[in-house]
Amino acid sequence: MGKGSIRMDGVTLDYRLYHDRAVTLRETMLNLFNRKSSTEHFRALDNITVHIDRGETVGLVGANGAGKSTMLKILAGVYRPTSGTACTEGRIASLLDLGVGFHPDLTGEENLMLNGALLGLGRSDMKELVPGIAGFAQLTRFMDTPVKYYSNGMFMRLGFSLATAVDPDILLIDEVLAVGDAQFQDKCYRRIWEFRERGKTIIFVSHDMEAVSRLCRRVIWLSEGRVVKDGGPEEVLSGYLESSQIRNSDTTASPREWGSREVWFDAVTIRNGRGAPSRTFRRGERMVVDTLIRSRLPHPVEGVIFGFSIHRSDGESVIATNNLELNQPLLRIDGSGRASIGIDLEIEEPGAYLLGIALTDPTVSKDYHWRECFYPVTLLEERKEPPLRLAGAVWKQE
Amino acid sequence: MANWSPGRLLLLMESLVSKDLKVRYKRSVLGFAWFLLKPLFSMIVYYFAFTRILRFGGAIPHFSLFLLTGLLPWNFFSSSLSASTGSLLDNHRLIRSIYFPRMALPVAEVVANLIHLLLALLVLESVLMIFGHYPGFSIVLAIPALVLFTLMTAGIGMLLSVGNVFYRDVKQFVEVLLLAWFYSSPIIYPLDSIGVDIIGSGGLLTALKFNPVAGFMEIMHSVFYAGTWPPAWCWISLCSWSLLFLLAGVAAFRKAEPVVVKEL
Repeated sequence: MGKGSIRMDGVTLDYRLYHDRAVTLRETMLNLFNRKSSTEHFRALDNITVHIDRGETVGLVGANGAGKSTMLKILAGVYRPTSGTACTEGRIASLLDLGVGFHPDLTGEENLMLNGALLGLGRSDMKELVPGIAGFAQLTRFMDTPVKYYSNGMFMRLGFSLATAVDPDILLIDEVLAVGDAQFQDKCYRRIWEFRERGKTIIFVSHDMEAVSRLCRRVIWLSEGRVVKDGGPEEVLSGYLESSQIRNSDTTASPREWGSREVWFDAVTIRNGRGAPSRTFRRGERMVVDTLIRSRLPHPVEGVIFGFSIHRSDGESVIATNNLELNQPLLRIDGSGRASIGIDLEIEEPGAYLLGIALTDPTVSKDYHWRECFYPVTLLEERKEPPLRLAGAVWKQE
Repeated sequence: MANWSPGRLLLLMESLVSKDLKVRYKRSVLGFAWFLLKPLFSMIVYYFAFTRILRFGGAIPHFSLFLLTGLLPWNFFSSSLSASTGSLLDNHRLIRSIYFPRMALPVAEVVANLIHLLLALLVLESVLMIFGHYPGFSIVLAIPALVLFTLMTAGIGMLLSVGNVFYRDVKQFVEVLLLAWFYSSPIIYPLDSIGVDIIGSGGLLTALKFNPVAGFMEIMHSVFYAGTWPPAWCWISLCSWSLLFLLAGVAAFRKAEPVVVKEL
């Protein structure tokens, strides 16, 4: 097992659950005589087995309470599993809560030395690290100021800078990057990317699917303390987004289907440009809606309009059009037939969308078959290579 | 995971203790002097209460110095226990975000108070000498006594710190406990003044000797104030209680630690 690798085998973690957080001695006394009302347990992680190799960048996604933070805390050594084993190799830097060991009355430097000791670093190692930490946080001038006079941003900068200064083999990140100004966030991301490029193992918990899909090569989806899916970001994220839409379907757009069904969609497959079934599309990738249409009418049907719509996940309509509107050939269905739409999208805002399709014939004012908000699709930002292009540069000498 | 060698542990302890000392006296004019002033003020109160109101202690020469030799170690004991009781709860964010040996938290509180005590005892010794209480050879016994008593305090501190996580009542309970403990220990009265004088039988005296701090307080009084060799029962009591509390404290802390982290 090399440095930077992680093994979790059958890890289970239970919390004691309180219905009323205030436990007093009296209640315990009462409970002693009333053994029946034993404490309830909440299983935060349930038999998790995950192996992560050195250099992997793994995103953890899942709803609140799915066990993401608990998993990080086990890896950080904060929690001990109730059963199962969790091993990590190499030094860990955990960005679970920035600047948490700082005491407001101590100066920046005093706090760094104290936190170094808490992280298990020797005094001379820490002395060497201090100037670099202060420099990265852009706080060199404020090292002898008590941190209570720091702004929130300065505080976080020092915390981040400290947590990542120890040259870790494994980096655990829990949503902390949501704090601080945009400039600081950029700087944090740059440092994290730098770790990624240097082959460090990174575990990244975030609700920002964009950030996860950009940073991570592997995504683990947790739900109710179990691994639902573990694999490449495209595959796992689309599944996760789909399920979170189903879960939220009470408040957001639910699929609707109606029509006379004289002509109907018998089979629908959504594919990518290469012909493989997919629900996740990157910018520039073609979405193909492949359908098998059947008709129960005795005669061939002419002039059938085949339309599609794309809604935001909350049901707001974004695009709705059809072959008539775009001057494309109308369908002729005789018994059954295959038809497809190739859709090219300019993705301005990546995220989860809902695709709908419809067969209509306005000349006889018929809605044959509507499937609105029916197929969840995930539209992602494209990874651009190179990320920058020089538009121009001007040299002048005065 | 960081490698917690003894050297790193020592550095951690040292850092926590020095943080405690630095933070405690920020923006305080008298600073460390408070550690002396508190027992000094209580000494004055007890002195007047006993000698002027209760008419007790008049027979003891330099009764005020006698009071101080008991009050200083007691102040160490009670401050250490109050501080270590809340030590885990007060640091819950830290405990929940990085791993380090958490036992260092209650122990650091005790050590910080011990440093105060040692300095205060130096001051006490000079005052004693000014009033003609020159120390005998028995003063060297103060060192093993203090070591043992510190271990006992740390053990009780560990017990209370984890107890307080499960039941917030512990903090309140400690206050009451310390009050009762104070009056049942030979701190402001010599042990030989009871039994014969008050009850007339030895029963109470024997019972008080089982008090975990009685032995230590008698040692303090005899080596600092009286300059005599403390009786053997004091050492038996101090050694056995220290060992008992230390083992119980460490065992309970070890056992409770994984659960405590989740309960914070």
